[in-house]
Amino acid sequence: MNIIETHDLCKQYGNALRVAHLDLDVPEGCVYGFLGPNGAGKSTTLKMILGLVRPTAGSIQVLGKSMDGKNRLAVLRQVGSLIESPSYYGHLTGEENLRIIQTLRGVPEKNIREVLQIVRLDGQRGKKAAHYSLGMKQRLGLAAALLGFPRLLILDEPTNGLDPAGIQEMRELICSLPGQFGMTVVVSSHLLSEIDQMADHVAIIREGELVFQDTLAALHGRSRHHLALRTTNNAVARSLLVQRDIRCTEEEGYLILPILSDENAAQLTRFLAENRLGVVRLEERQKSLEDIFLELTGRAVSL
Amino acid sequence: MKLLGLEFYKCRRRKILLVCAAVLAAQVVWIVSTFARQDAEDLLQGWMLLLYDLAMVDAIIMPISVAAIASRNCELEHKGTTLKLLETMTSPGALYAAKLAWGALILAALLIVRWALFMGVGILWQFPGEIPWLRMGLFTLISWAVSMMVYALQQGLSLRFPNQAAALVCGISGSFLGILSLLFPPALTRCIPWGYYGLLSLVGMNWNSDTRFTWFFWEQPQPADLVLLCLWAAVFLIAGRALFVRKEV
Repeated sequence: MNIIETHDLCKQYGNALRVAHLDLDVPEGCVYGFLGPNGAGKSTTLKMILGLVRPTAGSIQVLGKSMDGKNRLAVLRQVGSLIESPSYYGHLTGEENLRIIQTLRGVPEKNIREVLQIVRLDGQRGKKAAHYSLGMKQRLGLAAALLGFPRLLILDEPTNGLDPAGIQEMRELICSLPGQFGMTVVVSSHLLSEIDQMADHVAIIREGELVFQDTLAALHGRSRHHLALRTTNNAVARSLLVQRDIRCTEEEGYLILPILSDENAAQLTRFLAENRLGVVRLEERQKSLEDIFLELTGRAVSL
Repeated sequence: MKLLGLEFYKCRRRKILLVCAAVLAAQVVWIVSTFARQDAEDLLQGWMLLLYDLAMVDAIIMPISVAAIASRNCELEHKGTTLKLLETMTSPGALYAAKLAWGALILAALLIVRWALFMGVGILWQFPGEIPWLRMGLFTLISWAVSMMVYALQQGLSLRFPNQAAALVCGISGSFLGILSLLFPPALTRCIPWGYYGLLSLVGMNWNSDTRFTWFFWEQPQPADLVLLCLWAAVFLIAGRALFVRKEV
């Protein structure tokens, strides 16, 4: 079952289509990585899912219910969120901040202590939130999102502003949530490595368009090995390879071939030599996940 | 009720009491220093003079005070970007109503204390004549109604603009226009929201240019002015709420 489904979701600001015809399917019980460069439309999409931003077109279903004005608050009782920067009242203590959320959500008071322990902020609960470090504020935001122990947790760039130890801690916490509390976690990031270490499903968005959506294993599957061949005359070599039913493409002066066995590779070099073509380079290559991400999101876009 | 209770909870350490105390102190200092300069003959109409002066003082002090109180309550939502969290748990309309109700209770408490304070001033000063308990009560009610109309405007501005300078400049301008409008003919005063503090005063004044003698008389607010006050309040409330509810966070 999908816990979130969007169909043809669009958001237009002025003449710019910031989110374009997005069809997301988030399976229940997974950590779903929502990946894209800065400005790709991740936060806007997540805000639309939470009903904070009105879609220009398309539909959203969360927990099997349509996110319209009638259902929105009822559905969101089972959803926790941390969007962009953490929300807090600086003049109130961490505990007082959580008490506001606890009252609004109508959850037991003991949840406050529990979530403060989960995010390891129980020692700082009496301190004013304005005096927290950025990492502590981020953890307070996460505690607020966890307070009702929701079925669905939506976290927008939750590691922003954290130091390496904090990032590691947050990552471990996110990974543990589905197993420990049965939560589905949607986590957005512009960092591939982060999603690679947390998610089991991935969606990649570029300029508002969905360019990839599948399991992380499927994304890794794209990083298959291939051969890169360079000859004294690539154009002739390419036509000869096509004659022998070997699919190839040309990239930056190299012919890219599927991986061949040692015997077939030897036969290929002999065949090219017989046709008076010199083999200058024959390399085995593998695309990194980074290459795939850049390929999908466009090299010109900043990460 | 839950949301209203939370508004009070959120305003902990926001020094709302201090703001209210400052408003009362300013009014007391102003009025007492005015009365200290009056001779015994002027004080024969002491209660009327008190209500007349209070209406003037309200026109100057209340617009900026109401702006400050609304800003103290609304600014905290901008500072901590809390609206995007709150709106996942409650509707923006309910939040707007809770803030307005909070303002209504704070202003009511402020003006009730003010009523008690100035009744005490009148009694201690031994103004002649019957103590006008009811008129002072009615005056307090009118001050509250006008302040709520101004509060609706200020809350709309304070929630709309994260930078509170816009709302506070409006409050300062209101204080200036409020007192200035009392020099205008009533038809023009009706077009200035802050002018209603003076327009709905329960005491009128006559001044004889030959004898240079001033005397005061009780008067009732015009029903048309009360209707106009409600219209202003409705316009500010509907516009402010619509802008807040439609705003994407």
